[in-house]
Amino acid sequence: MPKSDDGVVARFSLRERTVHWLAALSFVYAALSGLSLWSPHLYWLATVLGGGVTTRWGHPWGGTLFALVLAVMFSSWAAQMRLTGEDRVWLRGMRQYATHNTEGLPEPGRFNAGQKMLFWTQAACVLLLFASGLVLWLPEMMPRGLRLAAILIHPLTAITSIGGIIVHIYMGTAATPGSLRAMLRGWVRPGWAAAHHPKWYRETSKR
Amino acid sequence: MHTVAKLIDTSTCIGCKACEVACQEWNDQKFTVGAFDGTYQTMEDLDHNFWNLIKFNEIERPDGGMTWNMAKYQCMHCVEPGCLTACPAPGAIYRQADGIVDFDHDKCIGCGYCITGCPFDVPRLNPVTQKVYKCTLCSDRTAAGLEPACIKACPTNCLTFGTRSDLIQIANARTAELQDDGYTDAGVYNPQGVGGTHVLYVLRDASDPEQYGLPKDPTIPWTVSLWKGPVKWLGSLVFAGGILGAFFHYLRYGPKTYDEAAGDDHAEV
Repeated sequence: MPKSDDGVVARFSLRERTVHWLAALSFVYAALSGLSLWSPHLYWLATVLGGGVTTRWGHPWGGTLFALVLAVMFSSWAAQMRLTGEDRVWLRGMRQYATHNTEGLPEPGRFNAGQKMLFWTQAACVLLLFASGLVLWLPEMMPRGLRLAAILIHPLTAITSIGGIIVHIYMGTAATPGSLRAMLRGWVRPGWAAAHHPKWYRETSKR
Repeated sequence: MHTVAKLIDTSTCIGCKACEVACQEWNDQKFTVGAFDGTYQTMEDLDHNFWNLIKFNEIERPDGGMTWNMAKYQCMHCVEPGCLTACPAPGAIYRQADGIVDFDHDKCIGCGYCITGCPFDVPRLNPVTQKVYKCTLCSDRTAAGLEPACIKACPTNCLTFGTRSDLIQIANARTAELQDDGYTDAGVYNPQGVGGTHVLYVLRDASDPEQYGLPKDPTIPWTVSLWKGPVKWLGSLVFAGGILGAFFHYLRYGPKTYDEAAGDDHAEV
């Protein structure tokens, strides 16, 4: 990472980036293999991923890896993701944010309220996905009532989770130039920090 | 094309279990020794290598006596099969033109969704091969013009094989006989919640099929129907909407830009 006197600001540590990309890789595998088992129309995904039997074996393990990585992510980020009063004001003005008119919105800290909402949504989803996934993983050990609940809860939470990640990928790449580099290389330009996370930028540059 | 079916007249079943043996023999299944539970029933339940079970349902009569409501228990070969609805692997479960619902074990991935989708709790997972098994209605025999093994072995003609329409007529006729004999609640079990079945029963008391171990009004579980219906549409909407929404947002509003040079002054505020 370039040093701060090279005119850049450190945004994500190597540990944070490693955890993020482990989560991303396991998520993509779990999502694609999961979609292949969701509907016969998407079963071709299972063929691409090594066949139906392999996918039935691999999907639960991929999901378990994702859940474990998310537990690590949770332990390092949960405190920073707490929603504040300002965040609630920001969320009410989300439409303004989406149309690039942030005038009058509270200044975001290290994470804006949208990022925080994504974090909590994914945290809740992974809990439900893992619990219901465990039931679907070992059907012969589970009572029928639980299996019937899991077979509905699992796809519903998966839809929520994947929907959130579609927005997340767009926001983190095309919609916000400089974001992807922040997560890959760990640094951002001062102008980026001042524009997107002004409160955080002031705090870091004071140090 | 006529579809085929199996008719089970519970009023003439004597519990001899010849059908169980014939099923094991024809399908070349090893018998797993179970625990003796003090009844005449061979096994507590179906298993991946035991597809046909006579249930010795013990019913207490109003006069204090006991009646055996014997009922042959196996795959019902539903017209609208819950197992097929739930199955993610195309071709692993299929419905033949003659109405038989059969499994292709080369395509089965062992997910067990069919077990959850079945309203009769019939399919069983083999923990070693991780494939699911159930009665095939002897599709390998019927394809060659033979009747299923269980029917071949039945000594009392309690079991009949034929076209479904013929068997429904026979079942109705037998029901009328039973009603004449005083079994006023006699009836045919052909549950419409699953579109009807290719295994039909004549019950001496059709008012309460649960006395025979049969569900009263079986349907594909609502969570499975919801998952395979509205939830699928909801998911498609979210995925397509998310991708298209992001794309059109970019066309309309473009990226969030920032001033490359800005920031340093800001820091000193």
